[in-house]
Amino acid sequence: MSKYVKIALAGEGGQGVQSVAAIITEAAYDDGYEALYIPNFGVEQRGGVSVAYVQISDTAIGSPKFKTADIVIALSDRAVRRTTRYVGPQTVFVYDDNIRNIENDLPQNAAKVLPIPALKIAKQELHPRVFNIVIMGAVIAATRVVDLDKAKAAIEKKLGYKFEQYPELREMNFKALERGFELVQDKL
Amino acid sequence: MVTKPIEGEKRAFMTGNEVVAWAALAAGADIMYGYPITPQNEIMHYWIRLAPKYDKNFLQTEDEISAGFTCVGGVMAGKKAFTATAGPGNILMQESMTMAEMMRIPTVLVVCQRGGPSTATVIYSQQEVTLTCFGGNGEGFRIVYSTSGQQDLFDYTIKAFNTAWKYRFPTFVLGDGYQAKMRESVTIYDPEVRGIKMIEPEPFVGKAGMPALDRDPAHYRNTYNLEEELYEVVTAMAKEFEQIAPELVEYQEFETEDCEVLILAHGVVSRAVRGAVEALRAQGIKAGHFRPITLRPFPAEQLKQTVQKAKKVLVVESAVGQLEKIIKQSTYGVTTPMTNYFRPGEGITVEEVVEEVVEEVKKLV
Repeated sequence: MSKYVKIALAGEGGQGVQSVAAIITEAAYDDGYEALYIPNFGVEQRGGVSVAYVQISDTAIGSPKFKTADIVIALSDRAVRRTTRYVGPQTVFVYDDNIRNIENDLPQNAAKVLPIPALKIAKQELHPRVFNIVIMGAVIAATRVVDLDKAKAAIEKKLGYKFEQYPELREMNFKALERGFELVQDKL
Repeated sequence: MVTKPIEGEKRAFMTGNEVVAWAALAAGADIMYGYPITPQNEIMHYWIRLAPKYDKNFLQTEDEISAGFTCVGGVMAGKKAFTATAGPGNILMQESMTMAEMMRIPTVLVVCQRGGPSTATVIYSQQEVTLTCFGGNGEGFRIVYSTSGQQDLFDYTIKAFNTAWKYRFPTFVLGDGYQAKMRESVTIYDPEVRGIKMIEPEPFVGKAGMPALDRDPAHYRNTYNLEEELYEVVTAMAKEFEQIAPELVEYQEFETEDCEVLILAHGVVSRAVRGAVEALRAQGIKAGHFRPITLRPFPAEQLKQTVQKAKKVLVVESAVGQLEKIIKQSTYGVTTPMTNYFRPGEGITVEEVVEEVVEEVKKLV
């Protein structure tokens, strides 16, 4: 079966969407897929909407941008408004249920609109800093571009140097990944 | 100390900026002169990280004017030097590049186009075509390769060094912010394993022997006192540029044999167009694609022939007609109707090219 998945991941600068996109594409590449990831953000160091476009395929990938994503994940109010343009009838739209006042801005034409309590879980069960890894788990559950073990290996590759110093971070990141995965896996 | 940066061939997953740094190393560059500007910064970052391992050098200058001129100076001193920039930095480097043009100094400049005019965006555009091909006072005698992705960036950065040294015209690798920042797979290699022999640099000044007795004096001028003198120099340069153009021009054609709608695009947009041609063919629309790789000199003759075969031509670019201008000039006299799809500063997708062509085809019937 041929695989071709397009993901748009958007949040506020500093929320870690670019790191998530980098880790996922790296994992897919290591798994033998063609992968293309392109970040898109403004001139701000922090703040401003930051979008990651990810494509994973078993054949060569064409243009870095696409019009309609298979999955859109939006992590702030501005990100929701910015990314509805990438939604089509086949798109699954995932957003954090902590975002306020976006009820009227949610896409009307998506295949599915799925609120997830990622921020709440990160804050209450884990640590706010692993919020993006919870999101990574959600992306993987929604797209199945790589399996959980491959994703863990990719996290290890990227953050292993930190885990050596603070081994408890490894467990926290892996837990975050699994919790994110659970948030989406049965809802599609 | 390790001497070869890349042994044999290797698959890698990299950003375009990283690819350029590796390619410059593989090409045997000695030094990068640089000044940071997004989206080109990481060429410098990767070069700085890699350079000491291979006994290479780096100089961060006070601005792009200085980066361009130190690059010219480095080459004159016998170093294989290069620089990289984008947007406003490209403007500032034009002065030194025209100096290189006049003095025939083999400079290599990698441009990662961002949005314009002025500071605009730091992301992406194809709005530096005119500037890169014709910027500066003078005639724009320079070689410009427009790349479409990581593999091109590697191949043409290596090639740019040889082209510059062989023909002694400033040579540009025209990438863009997308290519600079995106990650995708690429095969990197030692040029030798592909049978590419890199031209060794040699000093322009300070050579051994007594000038006029043992050798010609090293006299490189960019100033001329008399208009007749300048006329002679520029006319000779124009003639030479015209003569070498057929050896330099590069282009690609996809499905142009029987095509009715010919889509013209360069650089990264070419990838969307290729995807669109496939999709259009699947719908029974005879689409084809011509991609100029050298924008200067331009593959005018080849394009003219292909354009003549089509019923309709569509120019697609992330700018307002910078490529179209060159195309119109190159195909003067051909009567095939030409229309355009311009998205200044914005990426172009397969879907929108398909949509545009379908609309155009409706008008044909």
